[in-house]
Amino acid sequence: MTPNEILARLEAPLSLRRRVGYVAVGLAGLTGSALISLLWATEPALPPRTKVAFAVLVAIGLSWVAVAGWAVTRRTPLFARDRVIAAWLGTGAWLVFAVGSLILAASRHRSELPLTGVVVALGLMAAVNLWSARRRRRALLRRRENLNRLGGNE
Amino acid sequence: MTDELLVIRCQLGEREAFAELVRDWHPVVERYVGRMLGRSDDDVVQEIWLAVFRGLPGLRQPDRFAPWFYVVARRAVMNQLREQYRRPESEPVGDPLEADEADGVVDRETLARALAALPAREREVLMLFYLEDLPVGVCAQICDVPVGTVKSRLNRARKLLHLELVRKGYQA
Repeated sequence: MTPNEILARLEAPLSLRRRVGYVAVGLAGLTGSALISLLWATEPALPPRTKVAFAVLVAIGLSWVAVAGWAVTRRTPLFARDRVIAAWLGTGAWLVFAVGSLILAASRHRSELPLTGVVVALGLMAAVNLWSARRRRRALLRRRENLNRLGGNE
Repeated sequence: MTDELLVIRCQLGEREAFAELVRDWHPVVERYVGRMLGRSDDDVVQEIWLAVFRGLPGLRQPDRFAPWFYVVARRAVMNQLREQYRRPESEPVGDPLEADEADGVVDRETLARALAALPAREREVLMLFYLEDLPVGVCAQICDVPVGTVKSRLNRARKLLHLELVRKGYQA
């Protein structure tokens, strides 16, 4: 087998579009499930058929989360640049969830303290994740520059 | 370009660096798999590369890439060897010596055959130490055993290889 044949076989796991695609699908599933669960939890009297429909939608969303989680941990690794992109996508998903919960709270004309707590906690998680991904990438970039300089001086 | 720089570029997600890493290290993988299994095996080679790229983002010391790489390759090869030993109809290793091969010099092909006849552990340390030129400490790290064990395996491997070559008709 030649190196080019190996690279052709590695095309799928090494495709940036595929890796970021999995992250986006997972986050979309998570945000959708979270918003539907929120609606379900805060709506006072839902008919049984609506409850079943919500449950199915939440299950579908969580299935996508599971597929994406499996893919990015077992099949298509996230490199430093991908992690930063994924962290920004995560921040975007949090923003969608935060706006959705805000709209829901506004429509009820009351503030939900536990919900606010969840939104703040998720926001903190997204921020820490973004900070950590960018810090790791910056460290690698610095090391790359140092090694390039050393290589240039030799 | 050093391996460390190449690995860091891969960890950053540079596509060209992936290709460069494969081009630089593919012959090493093929050689390692060929010598350890006694034949080439594309599936094992592919499995090694998949495991390497899966593990690369988590590699904390890019300057220690070579030992890490051998650990990953070793895992895939050992899995394959375990599979092989489990199969009842495993092929016998080592062919009879060709008549025109002898002349005082052991050619690569014969050496490879003699190596294939050694037990996997001894074959492995012999290959890593002599054929891949890795220091004893690194061999120990790759095989996940103490340095003393590597030395004793090397000693035993040398004796077994000598016996194997003598059995095939070579004089030391």
